[in-house]
Formats: sequence, C-alpha cells, structure tokens
Amino acid sequence: MHVLKYLLFEGGLYRHERIIEFLEDVGGFLVQKTVVGLDLIMNLAVPEGEHERLSAIVSELKGKLTPAPLIGTEIGVVAPTLSRHHLPHPACDIAENLRRHGAKTNIIGLSRGVGQKIVHTTIKEKELIEEHDIAVFTLGNFEKCLMKKTKLFAEIEVPVIVTGGPVMKSIPGAEAYVGGIGRYPERARTGESIEKLREVSRVAGEVVEQRRREMDLDPLIVDPIVVKAEIERQVPESTEALSPNPVTLKIDGVRVKLPYDDYKDKIGNVSIGDKKLSEFAVIKRSLMRNYILVKVLPKSMF
Amino acid sequence: MGKIRIFVDSSDELGGQQYKYIAEKSVEDLGLGGSIDSIDMLIRVEEPVFIIIIRYKEVTGKSTLGDASYIDSRKNGIRITLSSEIFLGDALKALWSKYGRDRVEQIGRLEIFVSGAEPEEVKGIKLSEKGYDLESRINELATRIIPEGFRIRNSTKDKGIITIIASEDPIKEEWRVLARRLEGDARA
Repeated sequence: MHVLKYLLFEGGLYRHERIIEFLEDVGGFLVQKTVVGLDLIMNLAVPEGEHERLSAIVSELKGKLTPAPLIGTEIGVVAPTLSRHHLPHPACDIAENLRRHGAKTNIIGLSRGVGQKIVHTTIKEKELIEEHDIAVFTLGNFEKCLMKKTKLFAEIEVPVIVTGGPVMKSIPGAEAYVGGIGRYPERARTGESIEKLREVSRVAGEVVEQRRREMDLDPLIVDPIVVKAEIERQVPESTEALSPNPVTLKIDGVRVKLPYDDYKDKIGNVSIGDKKLSEFAVIKRSLMRNYILVKVLPKSMF
Repeated sequence: MGKIRIFVDSSDELGGQQYKYIAEKSVEDLGLGGSIDSIDMLIRVEEPVFIIIIRYKEVTGKSTLGDASYIDSRKNGIRITLSSEIFLGDALKALWSKYGRDRVEQIGRLEIFVSGAEPEEVKGIKLSEKGYDLESRINELATRIIPEGFRIRNSTKDKGIITIIASEDPIKEEWRVLARRLEGDARA
C-alpha cells in the first residue's frame, strides 16, 4: 500500500477535470469537492511520489496546492455547555478554521462542563467524543478553573487539544494546549486572534500526523479512503444523503450518514478485494443520529 | 452616550482583563450603552465568588412614541428624533407594523423618517405592550457576564443599582459585606 499525502487544492473550476483524471491515473483520491461560484476547493489524497507532477498541473491551472494533514479527519470541538457563554465563540471560530485546513468538524456541547465542582463528562458524552479522531476542548479564562476541569478529558481515549485563556505550555491529560483563546464574546477578527485559531489547526495537524505515524507501525488492512470510495460506488444512497459529507473519512475508518438499522447489512456487504467489509471492520451504531460507524481493523488482528 | 466605567478586581489578572472585554461587548450587544454608568466586578476564583455591581440610569416607562421622542413635520412625511437609543428597536418595530418597511427609514442613530404620516397619529403609537423593561435587560447583561458555573446567586436591587453575588457554594456573609462595601464605592 502506498503512503498518501493529503493536499488542499484551491483554484478555479476551469479544466479541473485534469486533476481528477490525474488522480485516477496515479491511484489518488478526491476526498471532498466544494464549489463556490466559480471557485473550487478540493481535498485530495495523492501517493507521496506523485506530488511534484500534481504541482506542475496545478500551477498550469493557476491554482494553489497546500499540504493539509487534517484532510481525512473528523474532529470534535467540545464546548463546556451549549449556552451563549461558550457558543458560538470561540468554539465555532475554531471549528471553522479547522475546516479551512481540511478537517470535518462536529460541535459538541457538554451537559455539565461548567463550574469547578459539578464539572464532569458523562459516559455517553465520552463515547460520543471518542467517535472522533481528535477532540478540541474550548475552556475559559481562569487558570485555576482550567486545572480543575482536567477531569473533563482525563479519560478520553482519543488525542485531546485544549484551548484556554491563560498562557501555559501544557495542561495535564491533554496532548497539547493552546493559550490565548479563552472565553470571548465576539467573532475573532483581529490578526492576533486569527493567528491563534491557525495555531490550533497547526497543532491539530501535528497531533494527527503523530497518530498516523503510530498507526503505520500496525497499519490498517485497507486504507479508509478505499473503504469510502467503495461504499460510495456500491451503495449509491450514501452519496445522496442530505447530511454534509455523507461518507466522512476518518483516520481509522468512515462515518456513513445513513440510518444504521436500514443500511448496516448493505454497508457490511460492500466487497473490497475478495473480502466483505464486515470481515475486516467493526460496523456499529453511532451515538450521533443513528449513523453508521465503520472502524477498519489493523493487520495485527488477522 | 457617556463613557461607561468598567472596573475589575480579579485574583487572576489575565482572566480579569478578559472579563472587562466581555462586559464591554455584552453592553454593546444588548444596546445598553446609553443606560449604564458603571460596572464593577470582583472575581476570586479560588473561593470561588464573582460579584458584579451595575449602576444604571433609571428610565421612567415611556409607553408611547410621543413620550419617547420629538416629532416634527417634514416635506412628504415626519421626522422622529428619539430621546434615547434604547427605544430604537421598539420604535422601528411599531412603525414597521403600522406603515410597512417601505415607508419607514432610519436616517440616523436616533432619527427615523416616516413618509406620508401625520405627527398626531404617530404620537399615540404604543412602543410595546409592557412598556420599556430596562431592568430585565440589565439582568440579562449580568447573566451574560457571570461565568456559567457560578450558579448560586444572590441579587439585591436599589435605586439605579443592581448587585449580584454568584458562586458555586452557598453565599457567605463575608461576601455580602464585601458586596455592600463595593456598592458604596461604586456610588461614590
């Protein structure tokens, strides 16, 4: 299996088919395509050795190609509650910036994410957060409060990034901490605050790359991007679902936005090579709207 | 609009500065700039307690547009000059429902032009059924500023001043004393 490099293409619609044809020729994938008027944004996965040839085509089309490790990841942005104290800012600003860098984001509001004493994450919330590849917790402005809220993410098994007001290097229980983004009441508009949002995306990119490197030690039987392409080909209803990104690519699988009870067998019967998907992946019900979660198993399991 | 004095005394200096910014923006969002004199906050995260004292200008209930504005005739219509921008939202809503959006135009921060209307009929337009409720908006302001986790609250109200003590624990007597002292300072 060749190693894929994730790239973000920004350019015009004109002759963009050349890029898609190139991807088909070299065994690359189109992860997501967004058309805004005459502009086009495409999330691409290209075999590592083909990067230069793709760059040549892109520069010919006067487009822009940037590495985006967050492509193919689903990130949960977790706010302490769903009240206006914590939403839409900064959670939505952070989520928007992560999407600009290629990630698919979901915002989660906890039921008891506030206070120093009552603060906790319920089992169901923990499971929901762990459906994502990484979680970004958006906390407040006081250092003492932040330190008492580490139990919110201490037991979360996916990598956690925490954002908060105090300037600190790290916070116990989290993979990374980004300071200077606490609770704030308006959209991030200044250069300084937007730079902080970019820093969250950059740190998330590093965490994702680290996770992919770790997974390389025991790689998955099939790259999730192949699973996504085959589900889209063999179960056409999956591309017609109205939810955004109906087959969402994740680091270790995919989320199919179809009802679990009606489609679990169809998804399980998708054949890849000489095997059925259910033979080498765990297919389970998602806590998010009854969607289908597909988790591809690593080679060591066989 | 006078300048609002916002004072924060916080045991966490950086966090305190951020709360000053939150207070400024919340006042702006609620359109209370003309009604507030001062906001004083005392934050002790380690206890934990959050005391907020808001001093505001009491507005006597203006129930009709005639009470809340100066109205003069112009060519093809009338010009309404509101006495305070706190009436703006209600005035526009009432005028739109009576004359439609095409005939009502906001020409300045406090000025509205209504084409083809008579001063006498506009004077009698009711601003809102309940009258202007400044107090509930001041309460909303305090709720927006106080951290959400500080759910046990004690509020006292005097003429033009509202004090809220918020904590996660039952309110202590010493905090009440502290709040009263701060209230005195705010009045001074």
